[in-house]
Amino acid sequence: MADVIIIGAGLNGLVAANYLAKAGKRVLVLERRAIVGGQAATESFGANFKADALHAGGQLRPDIVTDLDLTRHGLPESKSEPLISLLPDGRQLRLTADDSSETLASIRALSTKDAERWPEFVAFMNEAASFLDSAYRTPMPRLPHVSLSEGMPLAQLGLRLRRLGARDMFRVIRMLPMSALELTEEWFESDALRAAIGAVAVHNSTLGPMSAGSGYTLMHNWLNRGGPGNERVEGGVGRIADALVTALKSRGGEVRTNADVKTILTDDLKVTGVKLANGEEIAAPIVISGADPRHTLLDLVGAPELPPEFVWHTQSIKMRGAVAKVHLLTDGNHGLPNGTVIIAPAIRYVERAYDAAKYGQISQAPYLELTANGNVVSIHFQFAPYTLRDSEWSQARAELERIAVDTASAALPQLKASIRETKSLTPLDLEKTYGLTEGDLNHGQLILDQMFFMRPMPGWSTHKTPVDNLYLCGNGVHGGGGLSGASGRNAATAVLKG
Amino acid sequence: MLETLELKRTPFHERTSRLSVAQNWRRWAGYMVVGSYDLSLDHEYWAIRDRAALIDVSPLMKYMIEGPDAARLLHKVTPRDVLKMKEGVVSYTGWCDEDGKLLDDGTIARLGPQLFRMTSAEPSLRWLAMNAVGMDVKVTEVTDQMAALSLQGPKSRAVLNRICRDKLDPLKYFRVAENAIGNIPVSISRTGYTGDLGYEIWIPAEQALPVWDALMEAGDDYGITPCGILAMDMARVEAGLFMVDVDYNASTHTWIEGQKSSPLEMGLDWAVNLDKKGYFNGRRALEREKREGSSWKLVGLDIAWEGLEKLYGEVGLPPQIPSMAVRGSLPVMIDGRQIGYASTSTWSPVLKKYIALAHVQRPYYEPGTQLTIEITVEHHRKQTPAKVVTLPFYDPAWKKK
Amino acid sequence: MGVNTYDAIIIGAGHNGLIAGAYLARAGKKVVILERREIVGGAAVTEEIFPGYRFTEFSYVVSLLRPEIIRDLELPRHGLKILPLPSTVTPMDNGDYLAAWPDHEPTRRELYRHSPKDAEAADEYSRVMARAAKAIKPVLSLVPPDPSSMSVRDMLGLLKLGQFAKSLSEKELYRIAKLVTQSSADLLNEWFEFGPLKGTKSASGIIGTFLGPHSPGTAYVLLHHYMGEIDGAFRAWGFAKNGTGGVTAAIAASARAIGAEIRTNASVANVIVKGGRAVGVALENGDELHAKVVMSAADPKRSFLSFVESKHFPDEFVQQIKNFRVRGSSGKVNIALSGLPDFTCIKGESPLHKGAISISPSIDYIERAYDEAKYGQYSQNPYIDMIIPSMIDRDMAPPGHHVMSCFVQYAPYDIEGGWDDAKRDAFGETVINTIEKYAPNIRKIIVGKQVITPKDIERIAGITGGNIFHGELLLHQLFFLRPAPQWADFRTPLPGYYFGASGAHPGGGVMGAAGQLAAREVLKDWR
Repeated sequence: MADVIIIGAGLNGLVAANYLAKAGKRVLVLERRAIVGGQAATESFGANFKADALHAGGQLRPDIVTDLDLTRHGLPESKSEPLISLLPDGRQLRLTADDSSETLASIRALSTKDAERWPEFVAFMNEAASFLDSAYRTPMPRLPHVSLSEGMPLAQLGLRLRRLGARDMFRVIRMLPMSALELTEEWFESDALRAAIGAVAVHNSTLGPMSAGSGYTLMHNWLNRGGPGNERVEGGVGRIADALVTALKSRGGEVRTNADVKTILTDDLKVTGVKLANGEEIAAPIVISGADPRHTLLDLVGAPELPPEFVWHTQSIKMRGAVAKVHLLTDGNHGLPNGTVIIAPAIRYVERAYDAAKYGQISQAPYLELTANGNVVSIHFQFAPYTLRDSEWSQARAELERIAVDTASAALPQLKASIRETKSLTPLDLEKTYGLTEGDLNHGQLILDQMFFMRPMPGWSTHKTPVDNLYLCGNGVHGGGGLSGASGRNAATAVLKG
Repeated sequence: MLETLELKRTPFHERTSRLSVAQNWRRWAGYMVVGSYDLSLDHEYWAIRDRAALIDVSPLMKYMIEGPDAARLLHKVTPRDVLKMKEGVVSYTGWCDEDGKLLDDGTIARLGPQLFRMTSAEPSLRWLAMNAVGMDVKVTEVTDQMAALSLQGPKSRAVLNRICRDKLDPLKYFRVAENAIGNIPVSISRTGYTGDLGYEIWIPAEQALPVWDALMEAGDDYGITPCGILAMDMARVEAGLFMVDVDYNASTHTWIEGQKSSPLEMGLDWAVNLDKKGYFNGRRALEREKREGSSWKLVGLDIAWEGLEKLYGEVGLPPQIPSMAVRGSLPVMIDGRQIGYASTSTWSPVLKKYIALAHVQRPYYEPGTQLTIEITVEHHRKQTPAKVVTLPFYDPAWKKK
Repeated sequence: MGVNTYDAIIIGAGHNGLIAGAYLARAGKKVVILERREIVGGAAVTEEIFPGYRFTEFSYVVSLLRPEIIRDLELPRHGLKILPLPSTVTPMDNGDYLAAWPDHEPTRRELYRHSPKDAEAADEYSRVMARAAKAIKPVLSLVPPDPSSMSVRDMLGLLKLGQFAKSLSEKELYRIAKLVTQSSADLLNEWFEFGPLKGTKSASGIIGTFLGPHSPGTAYVLLHHYMGEIDGAFRAWGFAKNGTGGVTAAIAASARAIGAEIRTNASVANVIVKGGRAVGVALENGDELHAKVVMSAADPKRSFLSFVESKHFPDEFVQQIKNFRVRGSSGKVNIALSGLPDFTCIKGESPLHKGAISISPSIDYIERAYDEAKYGQYSQNPYIDMIIPSMIDRDMAPPGHHVMSCFVQYAPYDIEGGWDDAKRDAFGETVINTIEKYAPNIRKIIVGKQVITPKDIERIAGITGGNIFHGELLLHQLFFLRPAPQWADFRTPLPGYYFGASGAHPGGGVMGAAGQLAAREVLKDWR
């Protein structure tokens, strides 16, 4: 019998599994799909049509790579790309997390002053991201009665913040609740530059660059990407999961695919095991779920088994996905420059794209991120809200594809003619295929009231749940959001402590 | 125009307002109800204890709970073992928040395999809905659609037997059955809030008045008396029955932890089925409290008449006792140190005693403990002896027969 | 001391300046309060723009004025009366309305007819909000500690804050944490389903901010508005006898009685700095006044970027003040009426005319109004909070006639192309058109109207940017960040120069805390 069952072979589940296996636990990972990786899947949509389905890039936190010795188990190489914003006048704004002459020259073309400030901005952003990394590593205890042992890491985090010096400390604190626009207005005068940063800020979030709190998501995305552009993975992000599986097997852990957990079995708020869709029951003293908190608790455990106020908080988790994907198989003449290409020419452009999401509409002029991998072009589309007010996703796919291709083609004239096949993923597909409730890649929006002590919900930032020995390890808990594996690592630490 | 600014009227208002000599109206859950019909409470009180008192209890919150998960819902909401509850049974119960503190109390009646009627003092629709997430059950509030009359007193059965389709003799204590008065379908439960023999009659609101009239007519020979809620308030203290927001606070209404009470603290141990299966709200907290013992208990205080006579005697007066139940907090002490408070106190006309419901701290809540309670004698605060007694104060043999 | 020599000079006779002056005078200091205009009051003034009709020009309701100030300065003796505002009504598009009263029972019944579920939720919600308001209230009277500082005072302040957090129950603490960070739309959607209820409640979260109900941080503002307190009663909003000008008139009278001098038509040109200290002010008429201490109760921009040369402050501080957001977002339309507006939904004169009338049919309605403002336009379908002061205080208008105060959002300060007379007129028309949809007789009874844009607030009341709180209530502009990091303790980098206005902690509203707390800090430093 397994010591621990982990639901979902996404990166966080696999990271948690590895940490636990490394600590000598017998671990069984159950994956609903036929392939592992979860959001980090590299999938084939047809002949020669392979793409990173949901994330164009990503990287595990370096400490996870070291702790789990992943390089030895085949972790692929990755490299960070420049962010290239295509402007209406045909110019390209090229941004990297350094003061390379190309980057500075491209900013200088918009504003000399901004080019001068860029190096300081990058230095500050790196500092802020590194602080956030520490914060994500720091366990968030249940408040307000924090024990000494729980309080120490927090105190250290506080000291780390103070060591930034008064100026940067306040910059970091202020940045969290700020909007990306407010932040960039304090640094730069070029609207195009502000917009490019604003786009990075709202990437994967249902926020606009004018939304309070997009300062925080900027910090988060900067940390996960290591800068403005994507961290591209050689051979696709799916290889990260493969490496984790290899590592897990070498540690004696087991991964079962096509094992769809339908119920987490409990008895009076104590976990006893899981039940699969095929009726099989597997007992285990500990269950960790990599699925999102709402699905885990309300569907797998079931609301009737849980305290009502907790159910209410779980229902109240904001999970409004607004990301869609349009993958294109082209003949190769798509004309995309090398890098993470974005269509986000102006702050108001991105903000208006977000406005649509507020009212349940697909952005008519969306913010797009385009990445090419050989002949395949992947379009990341924002905003395409999960809940459409006047339509349904079963009917709106064609519209989504049309807007995506038209918008991209306006900036990349060769693109349209090069398209051979199209595979789009709507937010509903994200839910159905990838098990992301409401299509939310973050398993709960990265907003201020759902971060740190309040992630996934007030009082439960410890990876625990009201069900004894049921833990959460997915993106919806502290550290989560993106392909960093941080929440998986944090959950494993919590389980081993408990 | 602006009708919502006015207090609601119960379906019996046409009758009750005409009979109300005292014009003593009270607010109850947004309705206006008769406090007392008469200028003094005596007549109405003694109707409860000696004849048959007819009380309009329509403002009680009433909910129908229906569906395959109806029992499961109430099993989760209340500490009673609802899964094992048989049809035709009524259970009195308190219900708790997740910390095991009381939200409210009332009755649940199992009317069918998948059908319950629940009464409460506080609006409970939201709480029931929150608990019903993921369940196949429908909760409908029927407060305004269902009139309710409480017929209490030793003669209540005889009155009902005169006009009901089915005789009430087989209906046992805390049981419910469908019945009819004339051609009006009613549901009658052998329940009440007086500690005497009594019944509660649940009537479609639009047919409320004929039922009232039929009861008044049938009860005439037995001295049936319309009775306001003030006399009932005295009777319920004698019966050891407490009232939300008087004797305990709904936990959602409190400002601080200390204002909350658990069902164990309220002496409802008998209605907390910790041996039942599965999760229910407050289970863990209640289990812990059961293990560790309650810090407080609601007890009866028998206030020694001699003490009152002595204190009043010192200023040359006979004991002065309020003529109705007092809902003011009175400090309860031992050796000059406060260890509790009385939440309701009243003169008991039948027992000829001054009695109180009191919250007392451990270990002073054991029956027989001698405490003192504050009384104000001619503007001076005094302490007078009071003894902890087991509730109820008054438990007539015919109540459950 | 000479005629122009004082212990303390206060710049600005708004309510904060007057309160600070009164408290300093009460401590025995020789105080002068300097006011640019011919009347005192700042943004809390009542003016007779049309003969016989008295407009409570800018600020129009009172709830946050701290009772201890009322007691300390004996304001009732000087004429302060805060009359209850008995109801709020939201006209609905279907001709019905949603009303709320201070008594929860009728409010519950009223809501019950729209949504039984919300009726119960509203009860619970208001208790939760009241508990949160009670819990967070002590923070309002705290001088924010500087978390970057190692000084004993700041460390003690942090400790106090920690103890405060620990004194809360887990539920309260998280609730406050959520309220501080959440959007009002998210908060309200967790609780309620009925559109007009959510719209109306969300509106109090956006008053005075340049945010929509979907913006994080607006739930906090909602709490801010819940903290209203009159005579110790939580949650009660009131209307001051004689309008909000009645409040400042009472404070001014009290200040004078205590011995403070108030000079009107005394516009400050600059603060005089000698030897690295503020030692007085120069007026625009050339007069110079000298004092040990100068306190500005003007907005942060004027206080730090206009009255004092930048060279007297560190560059970082100047930059931070430049970055301080003061975008005005609201306008006022004050209307003199020959009769009572006849709201379709309330038919004839009704008790509801004595309360607030809120045009806030849904969260989306307000969010869309915000969207327009985001892009530099005033809202075509604005949120309007109306009261008819003459229904509460019969002295505000001639018998049978009325005055109506309409607070309007959004009207951005930075409107595309800038404000001019034509735009102001068009804005006024938009407001009247909106009201007309709900009260068709409105045009027939208008005797005169005064339209106030944020630009006018700036021009008349002297608030840079025209923001009614002197600075938006944004999370990064609150507590120890208000008005700038490390300078939230009412002191400034210039010794002898203090800052005690809405732009300081704890922020805006006719609350007076900033003035009171600043005066206390001045006295602490007194040598």
